[in-house]
Amino acid sequence: MKHWGLEMARVLVADDASFMRQMIREIVEAEGHEVVGEASDGDEAVEEWKRLQPDVVTMDIVMPRRSGIDAVKGIMDIDSTACVVMCSALGQETLVQEALQAGARDFIVKPFKPDSVIATLNKVLEKKED
Amino acid sequence: MDLAKYRAIFIEESTEHFAEISQALLELEKDPARVDAIDVVFRMAHSIKGMAASLGYDSITELAHKLEDRMQLVREAGVVEPREELSVLFRGLTALEAMVGAVRETGEAPPADPELVSALAARSGPEAAPKKKRAEAPGAARRSSAPAPRLEAPRPPPTVRVNTRTLDRFLSTVGEVILNTSQVRTVSQSGVTQNTALTEGLDRMDRVVGELQRRALELRTTPLLRILEPLPRAARDVAERAGVRVEVQLRGAELELDRSILDRLSDPLVHLLRNAVDHGIEPPDARIAAGKPAVGRIVIEARRDKDTIRLSVSDDGSGIDLDGVRRRAQESGVVHPDLAADLTAEQIAALVFEPGLSTASEVSEISGRGVGMDAVRSTLESLGGAVEIATEPGRGTTTTLVVPITAAVQRVLLLGVGAETVAIPIAKVERIEECPTERIERAGSDAFALIDGDLVPVLDLASHIAQPAAAPGRYTHLVLTEVRGERVALSTERVAGQQQIYVKPLPELLRGARALSGLTILGDGRPMFLLDPNQIA
Repeated sequence: MKHWGLEMARVLVADDASFMRQMIREIVEAEGHEVVGEASDGDEAVEEWKRLQPDVVTMDIVMPRRSGIDAVKGIMDIDSTACVVMCSALGQETLVQEALQAGARDFIVKPFKPDSVIATLNKVLEKKED
Repeated sequence: MDLAKYRAIFIEESTEHFAEISQALLELEKDPARVDAIDVVFRMAHSIKGMAASLGYDSITELAHKLEDRMQLVREAGVVEPREELSVLFRGLTALEAMVGAVRETGEAPPADPELVSALAARSGPEAAPKKKRAEAPGAARRSSAPAPRLEAPRPPPTVRVNTRTLDRFLSTVGEVILNTSQVRTVSQSGVTQNTALTEGLDRMDRVVGELQRRALELRTTPLLRILEPLPRAARDVAERAGVRVEVQLRGAELELDRSILDRLSDPLVHLLRNAVDHGIEPPDARIAAGKPAVGRIVIEARRDKDTIRLSVSDDGSGIDLDGVRRRAQESGVVHPDLAADLTAEQIAALVFEPGLSTASEVSEISGRGVGMDAVRSTLESLGGAVEIATEPGRGTTTTLVVPITAAVQRVLLLGVGAETVAIPIAKVERIEECPTERIERAGSDAFALIDGDLVPVLDLASHIAQPAAAPGRYTHLVLTEVRGERVALSTERVAGQQQIYVKPLPELLRGARALSGLTILGDGRPMFLLDPNQIA
């Protein structure tokens, strides 16, 4: 399905707060993308990534069991072209840097603003298609 | 964005987080270096901050942020300072709970307490971490916590949240299915010839409906943990103000109970716990002088006993001052002075449940909150349960809430009296005996029968439900049951079998009839009442 000139993307949402998962889901679905799965910790994020092979993952940094950054590393070990966008909060700049070095494509900052979330997602998806 | 929806999720999710933070802080009180507990508090504070920020609750965001920052420093140090720092963390949690509570009530977040905000910001004390630049902190901490063993509990299966109203509607529909099935059976049996295929089909349907009903009822049950979990922390708060030290142990929290009952047990339990801490446990020096450990012990235990759950709160404190209770009971006119001298210790202890006595002279800031022991008793009685108390001077007190495990669907015994059929819960029936009428001995208006060598009072069901008594036949049926701990025989004209019924609450008009505990609609459409044997006599 085409949407704004882009393929509809299959999105995996990883966040330990269902509040945040729902919020991202709403934003992403309003844009015409599909949320194919949700994960509530880093381990689950990697497992779901393997199972679903989504186009993009939104990855919270602070999660139980395995942090978002370790999950990015886990996913990169499997597929270095995987597309992960970090969800961060103000004050997590160092962690965001670390995640980007580990292979994350970009980041969005809480509290989420729908426009900037979509802009970031579309930007990384566009690049992915190149 | 649907604000109301997200606000509801925020309230629910942060409330769950508060429980986890509370649990983790209590663990840190025992072992200030538990990396996993430190981590939980940090993560939960972070998560609450993110949600609050998304909804524009700036004051909650600020306080959660301060708590998160403080936990970041604790993570770096690898240990929490167990006195002042832990106390500040608890205060932070209490304040956040209150603020989210205000959001629940008013939709607005009140401002954060500036004193608390600065207390959270200033980490001092012997364990304080070397100062680091804020920007470096998170990465460093993450690395230092990475090699820590994973101590978290195994992941529970995924869950969904269901609105209780939706659940109740669903259960009510299942109840209707049960009623309809038995109505169809009644119709099928009224034909002249029996249709075997129909009967077999109905039998299969009964099994499926039974399974459906069992599963549906499971949905309503919730582990006791839900109401027990906050208690250790509540005890700690009370203890801190009362100047005593306590450790609370929970046992049997995995037992499950119907949620509607569970929710009503919360206040009584908190009251018993407050009493135990505030009036039971002695100050540390008094305990040491009495040869006890400085830290008082309170055990909250749930145990299944037949069709009841017994929830007890035991402390190893000073016990109830029985002479004081006796004196107060006399002064307030609850007990006549001549009788007071003859009361046994148990009877005196039970006096604390009398209205106006429990909170009379020992009103304290903490326990004297208007819910006395009489309120505990009336709550339990309205649930069809009871409260028991046992105390030993110098050794402690155990108060037990006895709660029936009632459910919306019950197996009942049908008893016929004249044209009327009534039901009593089969769990309350010990056995049924056929007894020759002449063996029932009458003494004035009382009747007795010799059963298992004991004289058991016989209650005539017909007269208790205001039905004309039938002409006595040669035999009568005695249904042996228990009324407030005493064996009692209900005499009835006929026993009309047993059945699974879906118990509906009584209509408003009949609420005053205490002996009736519910209502069901029979297969033929007539109503049938469920009797509470405890209220007949």
